[in-house]
Amino acid sequence: MDIYGLVRGPLVWVAFIVFVLGLIYQAQQFLSSTREREVVLPPASLLGGVELPKPLSLADISSSFLGVHPVITVVTTIFHVFLIMLPIFVLGHNVLFEESFGFSLFVFPEMVADVLTLIVILGGVFFFLRRILIRRVRAITTLYDYIIVAIVVVPFVTGYLATQQLLNYETILILHILAGELMLMAIPFTKLKHGLLFFLYRYQMNYENCLGSGSRVWSYNQAK
Amino acid sequence: MSDQEKKAVDRAEVSRMLAKKAPEMKRILNYCLHCSLCAESCFLYMSHDGDPQYMPSYKVINSLGKLYKKKGNVDLEFLEGIKGMVWNNCVLCHRCYCPIGIDIPRMIDFTRSICRSQGVYPELDEGESWL
Repeated sequence: MDIYGLVRGPLVWVAFIVFVLGLIYQAQQFLSSTREREVVLPPASLLGGVELPKPLSLADISSSFLGVHPVITVVTTIFHVFLIMLPIFVLGHNVLFEESFGFSLFVFPEMVADVLTLIVILGGVFFFLRRILIRRVRAITTLYDYIIVAIVVVPFVTGYLATQQLLNYETILILHILAGELMLMAIPFTKLKHGLLFFLYRYQMNYENCLGSGSRVWSYNQAK
Repeated sequence: MSDQEKKAVDRAEVSRMLAKKAPEMKRILNYCLHCSLCAESCFLYMSHDGDPQYMPSYKVINSLGKLYKKKGNVDLEFLEGIKGMVWNNCVLCHRCYCPIGIDIPRMIDFTRSICRSQGVYPELDEGESWL
């Protein structure tokens, strides 16, 4: 088996298995270190006076994250949406889906995919430069943070170079597949796991800024 | 507490306290994206011309984060060093906001508990204060 066959075949399966099992492990760790919160409701007679939430106003938006950090809110939203959508709906990947599984999904026109790829790459450059140029970000940035940005952006850079057939196509293609596999395997075991944990911590954990049910608390609180 | 009254750090006790809350604290510390977006939610950061030392994540990373990195093997000088960070630079007002859901005040509160267990806490007559 040549290198292309290896990265295109067995390594893809290894990457997906590590990715899926890794996320299951992280979810299991979350569940095992937290427990359901016991809710004690006040008497029904007191609940009648509770005010219902008011609809969102412009004042709410100006004090929201969008109002306080408009640039990074927009950039990070676009970056994350395209980062997830592109690998699923890009033509080249769907050709592989068709070859391997006999089905394909909706695909972006090539021109659109190229533009979206460049947007993701620019998003990565934005986060990279932010770490260098902004004092407060620099104060807490470590080498690990740069590596995380690189792990995410390299598959898109190599993907763009491959579709544009710049440099040595075969080498770039192999690097692209390897970089994608590395990213998939890194997600559950690096800070990239925030893709999953965001929904667990932000919506499930009971604390002041919880966005969801807040039905869980850390389990050691029960320990004697 | 005067210098004479201060004893050596009970490292076993510090390690025990760290281990008890490790499932939460270590995981959360590893989860922090170092994005610095918590900064503006801290009024002390805003009132100190954006000095990063007052940023909530900076305070946690450089106090509790270092305690975990050192596995509790710290001396009194270290605890005295972070004392200002968790008392003078933070008033535990619970206004800090982490976009990915880290409960920052819990971590500062825990760090204070560790310091307090070793007799490190601010004196009422200490001159240095944010007030």
